[in-house]
Amino acid sequence: MTTTRLDKFRTWTNIPLVLIVIALLAYGALMVHSATSGFGSGAAMFARQMVGIAIGLGVLVAAWSIDYRKLEGWLGPLVVLNAALVISPRIPGLGSQVSGATRWLEVGGVSLFQPSEPAKLLTIVIMAIVISKFKGRIERGRDVAQVLAYLALPFGLILLQPDLGTGLVFIAITLGMLLVGGMKPRFFLILGLVAIVGLGAVIQLDIIREYQRDRLLVFLNPEHDTQGAGYNLNQSMIAIGSGGLTGKGLGQGTQSNLNFLPERHTDFIFSVLGEELGFVGAVVLLLLYLGFLVTALEIATSARDLLQSLIAVGLITMWTFHIVQNIGMTIGILPITGLPLPFLSFGSSSMITNLAGTGMLLSIWARRRAA
Amino acid sequence: MSTYQERLRHRYAVLAGVLLVALGVLFVRLWSMQVLSADEFAAAAENNRVREVAVEAPRGRILDRNGEPLVTNRSTLGVTVVPAAKDDEDLLYRLSVVLDMPYNEVVERVTSVREAPLKPRLVAVDVPMRTVAYLAEHQTDYPGVDVSVVPVREYPHGTLAAHVLGYTGEIPEAQLQETEMSDYAFGDIVGRSGAERQYESVLQGLKGYQRVEVDAMGSLRRVIDEAEPVAGRDIVLTLDAGVQAVAEQALLDALADARADEFPNARAGAAVALDVTTGEVLAMASVPTYDPTLFTGGISQAEWDRLNAKDSEYPLNNRAIQAGYPPASTFKVVTALAGLEHGITSTGSTYYCSGTWTGMGEQWPKRCWLRTGHGSIGFTGGMAHSCDTVYYEIGHELHRRGNEELQAWSRQFGLGAKLGIDLPGEVAGRVPDAAWKADFNRNYPEYRTWLPGDTVNISIGQGDMLTTPLQMAAAFAGLGNDGTIMRPHILKEVLDAKGESVRTYEPEVAHEIGASEANLRAIHDSLVAVTTRGTGASAFRSFGASVAGKTGTAEVYGRDNYAWFTAYAPAEEPRYAVAVVLEQGGHGGAMAAPAARSILAQLLGLQVEHVKAQDRSR
Repeated sequence: MTTTRLDKFRTWTNIPLVLIVIALLAYGALMVHSATSGFGSGAAMFARQMVGIAIGLGVLVAAWSIDYRKLEGWLGPLVVLNAALVISPRIPGLGSQVSGATRWLEVGGVSLFQPSEPAKLLTIVIMAIVISKFKGRIERGRDVAQVLAYLALPFGLILLQPDLGTGLVFIAITLGMLLVGGMKPRFFLILGLVAIVGLGAVIQLDIIREYQRDRLLVFLNPEHDTQGAGYNLNQSMIAIGSGGLTGKGLGQGTQSNLNFLPERHTDFIFSVLGEELGFVGAVVLLLLYLGFLVTALEIATSARDLLQSLIAVGLITMWTFHIVQNIGMTIGILPITGLPLPFLSFGSSSMITNLAGTGMLLSIWARRRAA
Repeated sequence: MSTYQERLRHRYAVLAGVLLVALGVLFVRLWSMQVLSADEFAAAAENNRVREVAVEAPRGRILDRNGEPLVTNRSTLGVTVVPAAKDDEDLLYRLSVVLDMPYNEVVERVTSVREAPLKPRLVAVDVPMRTVAYLAEHQTDYPGVDVSVVPVREYPHGTLAAHVLGYTGEIPEAQLQETEMSDYAFGDIVGRSGAERQYESVLQGLKGYQRVEVDAMGSLRRVIDEAEPVAGRDIVLTLDAGVQAVAEQALLDALADARADEFPNARAGAAVALDVTTGEVLAMASVPTYDPTLFTGGISQAEWDRLNAKDSEYPLNNRAIQAGYPPASTFKVVTALAGLEHGITSTGSTYYCSGTWTGMGEQWPKRCWLRTGHGSIGFTGGMAHSCDTVYYEIGHELHRRGNEELQAWSRQFGLGAKLGIDLPGEVAGRVPDAAWKADFNRNYPEYRTWLPGDTVNISIGQGDMLTTPLQMAAAFAGLGNDGTIMRPHILKEVLDAKGESVRTYEPEVAHEIGASEANLRAIHDSLVAVTTRGTGASAFRSFGASVAGKTGTAEVYGRDNYAWFTAYAPAEEPRYAVAVVLEQGGHGGAMAAPAARSILAQLLGLQVEHVKAQDRSR
């Protein structure tokens, strides 16, 4: 039997995943171009985004080449590296402050990247190593406690930035991996109750920042304050709703071009899409995401071992959480957090992270079980 | 092993289910927003981006009869502050320093309740360019403070004719409810008094609008569409700016003379000049006056209170039409004419004035103002020297004839009713009669009966008789116009944008006095005697024209006498009538007649001289 080059390529590459990611990148480039074209520095920003994609593709190839089974023995160093990443913006001289939170790593006045982005991937790997050790059975409380202890470190540190959104991402990916990793259903119930009690305590004890509380209150009652904290949500919903079935046309969004939409190229890029391309454009995006996630799920099920399955599951929950949370906030069904929309939002840190995650999926696919 | 694989598949199914449900929720929500409720959101987006801005139409100008502008418009740079900033003491303090205004005045302008609640308050007008530049450079330090071009009324002649012209201001809320004001919006500038108010519908233009696209900061991006405003029409008044200026100065001079003499309380008065053949008002002055520019950009409460204070003499009042005074001896023309018409007196009649008249019996003596008496005096002499005894006799006889003839003649002279001048706020005055007295004293039964003394009192223009200066001017204009009183009016014509007349005021008859030519002649001769050898002779010494006039000195309880002079001229071919009244100004012949002389001189093209008369008569 002779194997053609295409067959060899198929062995290493999940073609649907690659095509969907290319489509998402193109869609994202289109929207970032439209969203930034009204800015004075729009062309430079678009170029920066393209550079981010280029770097991301390089990182993707690197991530593709790694065999993640080899990381199993590196748990200790990975935990330390992850903690260092998450805490780095808090180290004097390394962080830069943006709207009350310290999320950027800055050296010599040059902003490098947001360490919380690669930390998401590291956390996925760490939690996958930890959970995979139970070989698909997490039935004892102390097993759960052990897993949670590994989660607590990055989660606690990310709250210091403070970055509640990323903290919630850590929780989501852990829960996803615990599900596939074999945690008994009753623990989900217990964790759910603990989460509710904890959330109440957080709100009561003023642990969250004032702007975060405002965002929560506005989410509960959007008409509460349409000029203050509710302004963003209100303008976003107006943008998306006014897009109608087919949208106002690319570059024709009034909410976007007249600056009614805040953060339109980053967190609210979906509002631009909804306004300019309408329901049709939004559904096309949802279908692309659905295809991407289903393909990723297929990769997870075909992984050679539980560790790699769990990494794929962690990536899936990370993306799902970002997609649902980001779009959900723009249409008023979830509170506003600063989570970017995967492959769409302007910003190189998240773009590189998402492409790295894609590379991880491709690596898992390339090393899959024989069919 | 197979059970583990099954369990794993089951777990993936749960994960896939969660994923599908989450994306499904997003799908449903997007369907609801972008398909079902798209119209509402589209409307909200339009509402965000489109602003409709009214473009004020320039208000019509007001010109005098010779085309001299009395009220025009100009654009000025004004500083506005949003009402929400009223509690920001620091901001208002800093603004007051920049504008070089007292802090209290800035606060007062911002908190003024005399304007629409949300409209930015105009704090200062005529702001110098360097102040504008400073505010523009420091915009972030002055939130809510804005510089805008505001159209304001301009008064090239200052306070000249302020009462006739009137002032403008924001439309009062109550007026907005009226059906004819349905085209107006909150905060619109309308005429609030005088001609500005009377001819509001002519002066007010048609507002234009501009639909503009704005961004989130409210900055204008582009004009979507617009409609040009249509300017209001200019109106030409019958006023003559020259005569008006002389009338106002003559009043001020006369009041100053009165104060310098022995009447320190002489501070207010009015003067009216009419064209006897048309009723055109050539001058209408009222003292004290006010500065209509105070109302530019909305008058402050403190200024408003000052203009309405008890000791202010109420400068906003147009005394020429809004104040009723006892006409005193100027009324004697009515009594005399009624007497002639009823055959009670004639040019040949002779009376004897001892200084005290006892026609109603010894127990009811009445005094002539000349306590020593005029002695033997005829009809013409009675008018010339203003002998009260003559009019007591005539009035008493009229009373005995019954039928309230004196009141009927008063009304034929246009007294006791509004003349219908085209100015807001005219009062009717009062011609007292039995019915009025019975009603007026309805709570005092012992004072309800009309007595002979009441008729005798009004026969010399006292008692409860009240007339406006305009009414007395119109009455004398009627005497000078063969008994026909033309309706006084201030509008001459309305001009369109090209300056062409689109509406001309047609003279109207207001009243016919209804007396015979011979009797009018007798009155005429007696009025000429007043200025040649009578109580007005001193004031009209060496005047270049013959004048038919009458002095009056009204007694007002608790106050110094009010001085009157009414006249028409030239006597042989009357063209103009004038009435002057000085509150607490003393003697009519001494104080009011010289003011009337100045006004008549200007009207007749004679030398205007400020003369001082030496007359102590009434």
